[in-house]
Amino acid sequence: MELTHEEILRYSRHLLIPEVGLRGQEKLKASSALIIGTGGLGSPVALYLAAAGVGRIGLVDYDVVDASNLQRQVIHSTSAVGQLKVESAKRRLLDLNPLIQVDAYNEPFTSSNAIKIAKDYDVLIDCTDNFPTRYLTNDLCVFLGKPNVYGSIYRFDGQASVFFAKEGPCYRCLFPEPPPPGLVPSCAEGGVLGVLSATIGSVQATEALKILLGIGSPLVGKLLLYNALDMSFDFVTLKKNPKCRVCGPNADVTELIDYEDFCGVPSHDHDKGSAGADWDISALDLHSRLDSTPNLLLLDVREPHELVISALRGATNIPLGQLAARLSELDSAREMVVFCKSGTRSTRALELLASAGFKKVENLKGGINAWARDVDASLPIY
Amino acid sequence: MPTVRIPTALKYYVDNHSEMDIPASSVTELLAALATRYPSLKFHLLDSDGNLRRHFTVFVNGEHIRDLNGLDIALGPDDKIILLASAAGG
Ligand SMILES: [Zn+2]
Repeated sequence: MELTHEEILRYSRHLLIPEVGLRGQEKLKASSALIIGTGGLGSPVALYLAAAGVGRIGLVDYDVVDASNLQRQVIHSTSAVGQLKVESAKRRLLDLNPLIQVDAYNEPFTSSNAIKIAKDYDVLIDCTDNFPTRYLTNDLCVFLGKPNVYGSIYRFDGQASVFFAKEGPCYRCLFPEPPPPGLVPSCAEGGVLGVLSATIGSVQATEALKILLGIGSPLVGKLLLYNALDMSFDFVTLKKNPKCRVCGPNADVTELIDYEDFCGVPSHDHDKGSAGADWDISALDLHSRLDSTPNLLLLDVREPHELVISALRGATNIPLGQLAARLSELDSAREMVVFCKSGTRSTRALELLASAGFKKVENLKGGINAWARDVDASLPIY
Repeated sequence: MPTVRIPTALKYYVDNHSEMDIPASSVTELLAALATRYPSLKFHLLDSDGNLRRHFTVFVNGEHIRDLNGLDIALGPDDKIILLASAAGG
């Protein structure tokens, strides 16, 4: 695919590198990449691939831009809050480079549409925020024979690799099974250093470009482990798992499955905030209950550093991670309402309390953020 | 003494250490010693049968334990162990 004069000028700094050159840039123009998720990782990946002149970029997301995304999802602007992420991202990419094609898929990436969306792309880039979509992306790449450029982030830790089953291990070779539901906190619960997205995302963009150009040695069979606090980059070796259920010689997973069922969690990292209708109490109902039940115990299962952001007066704080060991501090005869930031951790605390024989427990639906929204506007939402 | 690197997600349960020296002659022993030293870590690390939960994986000197001798691999004083947790964030 020949370059126009306009493109030659735009990509001049690439053309000067012998490993890329005119032929390499033409390759990029003829190539395509599908970016699954336009959040923290998807932002830098999409921006750099667009700037680099990858001819066709696909973006899959079904979410809208939220104010709490802007701390790291640099493809979106403040003015885009409330708009579709794929539309916001597409606009930014075409502003950066109008000479490429951007295809936006405003839908959840699932077993029923994944093959249709992905089949014509040269490389898939896993920038999702949840386990079901990660396992789906992996299996899809194994079945379609495409490389899966993987990255994940949490707080200060990042991981990156290229899973390419034709030449090396896949994601399931590394993690055969997802974690039990609720045991691994998401970034929505545990937080993430914004710039970590750029460190890991730029590694993913680099690997994708190398694959599309056919240069260098890709991160196949190796896993990068990055820690921002120590500024440490460790590489560990990964081999194919002979017992891998999707890429091993005796693989028994031969088509896409129900990944939400496989992982036991929904394919997004939003806090549902509900423990089920039987267990939930709304912020407004809790407000009136506090007047009628003076002995009601409010149990806050957030971390100590969250209490300075917002708090409910008179609440007892036992972080979820310590709850199992500190049950003896609680009186099971007393009525109790458990809460956290938005209802996810409190739901887990409720399960723990219920299994320990506590009967008079309820979950503040939507957490202290719902209380801030519906009852006490003097509290911030975070 | 072998050194073990703790994933960020578990630091909270080990007094915020990211790395520590643990006297142990195998990975199995090392995991058991960690769980004994930090009781609140145990539930997160081991399942009800005492096995390492499947979303963790262990590397010894950069090699996956599956390619070594599994969790029973013998550890020497200079060995560097990485305990890796799967993370979905993006
Ligand atoms: Zn595999």
